[in-house]
Amino acid sequence: MKHDDTFESRRRALLQAAGAAAVLLPFSRAGLAAEPAKPKELIVRVWGGEWKDAIDGGVSKGFTKATGIAIKYDETEDNELQPKLWAAVKQKRRPPVAVNWDTTTNATKSALKNMGEDLGDLTNLKGLLPVAKPLGFDGWPLVNVYSYVYVLAYRTEAFPGGAPKSWSVLLDPKFKGRIALYNDGIGFHPAAQVAGGGKVEDIPKNMKACWDFIAKLKAQKPLLGEDPDFTNWFQKGEIDLACTIVTNARGAKKNGVKVAWTIPQEGAKVDTDALWIPKGLPANEVYWAKQYVNYALTAEAQQGWCDGLGLPGVNPNIKPPADMVGDPAYPTKPEDFAKLLRVPNKIQVENEKEWFGKFKKIMQS
Amino acid sequence: MIRVLDFLESLRATLWPRAARRFEAAAFLLPALLLVGVLVLGLAWMADASLRLLDTETFELSEHWTLANYRDLLENDTAWIVLGRSVLGAAVVTAVTLALAFPYAWVMVRTGSAWLRKLLLVSLFLPFFIGQVVRAYGWLIVLGKEGLVNQLLGALGMGPFKMIYTYGSVLFGLVQYMLPFAVLLIAPAVTAIDEEVELASETLGAPWWRTFLEVTLPLARPGLVAAAMVVFTLALTDYAMPVILGGGTNDFVANMVYDAFFRTSDSGMGSAVAIALVAAATLLAGVLLTWLGAGTLGFRGEAKR
Amino acid sequence: MNGRRARDVVLWSVVAVNLVALAAPTLIILGASFTAGNIITFPPDGFSFKWYEKVFASETLRDAFWRSLQASLVCTAASIPAGTLAALALARRRPRFPRTLQLYLLLPFTVPLIGSGMGLMMLFGELGILGQVWPVGLACCIINLPFMIWAVQASVNALDPDLENAAATCGAAPTHAFFTITLPAVTPGIITGALLMFVLAFNEFLVSLLLTDANTVTLPVSIYNSIRNVITPDLAAVSVVYILVAGLAIALLDRMVGLEIFLKSKQS
Repeated sequence: MKHDDTFESRRRALLQAAGAAAVLLPFSRAGLAAEPAKPKELIVRVWGGEWKDAIDGGVSKGFTKATGIAIKYDETEDNELQPKLWAAVKQKRRPPVAVNWDTTTNATKSALKNMGEDLGDLTNLKGLLPVAKPLGFDGWPLVNVYSYVYVLAYRTEAFPGGAPKSWSVLLDPKFKGRIALYNDGIGFHPAAQVAGGGKVEDIPKNMKACWDFIAKLKAQKPLLGEDPDFTNWFQKGEIDLACTIVTNARGAKKNGVKVAWTIPQEGAKVDTDALWIPKGLPANEVYWAKQYVNYALTAEAQQGWCDGLGLPGVNPNIKPPADMVGDPAYPTKPEDFAKLLRVPNKIQVENEKEWFGKFKKIMQS
Repeated sequence: MIRVLDFLESLRATLWPRAARRFEAAAFLLPALLLVGVLVLGLAWMADASLRLLDTETFELSEHWTLANYRDLLENDTAWIVLGRSVLGAAVVTAVTLALAFPYAWVMVRTGSAWLRKLLLVSLFLPFFIGQVVRAYGWLIVLGKEGLVNQLLGALGMGPFKMIYTYGSVLFGLVQYMLPFAVLLIAPAVTAIDEEVELASETLGAPWWRTFLEVTLPLARPGLVAAAMVVFTLALTDYAMPVILGGGTNDFVANMVYDAFFRTSDSGMGSAVAIALVAAATLLAGVLLTWLGAGTLGFRGEAKR
Repeated sequence: MNGRRARDVVLWSVVAVNLVALAAPTLIILGASFTAGNIITFPPDGFSFKWYEKVFASETLRDAFWRSLQASLVCTAASIPAGTLAALALARRRPRFPRTLQLYLLLPFTVPLIGSGMGLMMLFGELGILGQVWPVGLACCIINLPFMIWAVQASVNALDPDLENAAATCGAAPTHAFFTITLPAVTPGIITGALLMFVLAFNEFLVSLLLTDANTVTLPVSIYNSIRNVITPDLAAVSVVYILVAGLAIALLDRMVGLEIFLKSKQS
């Protein structure tokens, strides 16, 4: 029990520090005296690689330092964790993770099923950018944490004359068999809609332009894959162009792959990721999981986390990392924002199955 | 040792009198039947889910049963294309794997060198240890557009050829994955063949390939049938190879199962595809079993006519 | 003798093709694990042991390794009796409805792994046994059981039924006959099957993915998950360590029982 003693005193010392005190504003009015028992560790679901390093350095380290609660990671892919989580909540088992770092689309599905704890009492929600608030819900079953853009990444050696201007470069016969998309088509629909001559506002009612564009793309024999595939394909000279999240392109570049990215004139899809806490945890863990999320929303944590990702956080007081300054994929100017194509998550969630079916129909035939 | 056996024998005599011998087959089969029974319970859950339709506004499956998922599946052209691709692929993979595995097994068993036999045996287990996904990256380095093979061909003034992320590369990956299984199932059957039968055939002046085709191959039939069944069913229901070597446009049926469960959160449709695949695979396995002759698959009594 | 030479040329060519196909990706990964860069590549980008250092320093990987070992042992222990008895029954005891039985016992191969995983997750969840390692081993046993059955069946077919009958006629007690004649005769099949079950359980990731959590994650699941975002050379290093451990185990097995046992099913 000695450990606990030293530990407790260290924690108190930390709490007296001004920064840490701001970090851990308790939401129960009784204050620290009523603070629920601390779990030894909290399990947070994360994506691996750069993503894990970013949240670990930006959020978890600071949280552990302030509270003494260790953070353990579950690296199960968000899509693959989802049925496990749903089954656990449905069977009234303890969910496999305490905090789920999830795409907003997936988090919205879980919220529709009423799987998440309400986060409305988090003290740090105030002052966040409006994009943090999930749309279509009364409370806060999830909180969006940053935005990201699906950029057009290209191999610099294939474009000596500079970045391609339009998404229609994907249809250039020169690049037949040398282009890549996500294997479920996500991130590409709005760009295809505009590049095909349609309007993003017409999604989901009239998406002919989008599907026609994707059908033409199929004739270009695209490779369909996921984040690590794009990196490998760029590196091994398999592809020249890919529609991917800027974080992955940036990660590849940092690792020496000759790749750059652009937002073409038609614009690019912007989306968000979220944090949420599944129901079914013991009350004290819910409390500390909320503290974790609350801490993740502070300017301090957001700065570290989003620097790692190269993405704009929802806390307005953070600055872009040096390498992203002036990059339209980290929008700061009105003309940057004008090029972002947004589809409300509710529409994405409701139409996902149909869009996915259409995409597969084109790609698998 | 004998005492232990005596003890076991008396235990058996009490618990399992000779009169019960006619239930012996059932008793021997029971553990395996129960283990597979656990899977059947899982299938029952899936059968139930497959009869429920996803509501994309709430992401709940319907309360009532409906055949809508199966109807959608039957009317889905993509599903039929994918099924055709899987069945054709499994058939080709089975044929090629057996053709490659049989000589390997024969050489492994017949070679006079113990050292060589060990090398061949150990080589079978090598690929297991790097896992399917890491293995795929190995293949990208070998077969990619700027891979080792294309570099070699380029030096000879040929290519580059597209050798990866095609239907062909999925089948190639499957053959490579299945080879060890096939060899390990065929080898005992080759071992059981009396070498003198082969020698006799040769002494009678038959060319080697006739001996091989008309003496060795038929005698090794039990092993070939077992290997064929295993390779065919595993290839038909495979998920990983189309993902890692198919470039995203060469899905098999199992990929549809994955997509429904994990990407579109539709456990109803996922279950329906899975159940349909089980039905198709069992049917095809039954046909294969009948065609190749169940009698050779361990039912020695029947095989003897 | 010319015929013989022709035969050897043809057969050895096929064997050579097989050997190249089996070994190529492994050799590439072996080389790539020594890269000094941050991405798997061949030829490696410089030379360093840094990825090996990372692997050996990782507590997560070490824990996952031990859990995989446990799961594989559970899987193997459960499959040996179940598979052996079933194979003997199918081959010797002439059960009724043999074809239906075969197709039933083939279910683990005809159900796609994702389906098996989802079904087992729902079932184990209902039973409240998730969150432990042994159900993962049990699941691996179920989904690969046909391998065990067939491996043993292949050697039952080589067992001379007259021997068993002779023992019975001579008045040997059934248990004696079983342990002194039947079992020794099918031992090669059991060893082949058990080894396959062990190795497959040690590599299983799709079903295990659904049955594990951050506290019970096994090595292949851990590798699979980290591959989903970026494939770093430490995974190549893990594979190499793995091959070395396996090589050691095989050498040990060879010293103790002799690898020849795989290929001898006739003597007892």
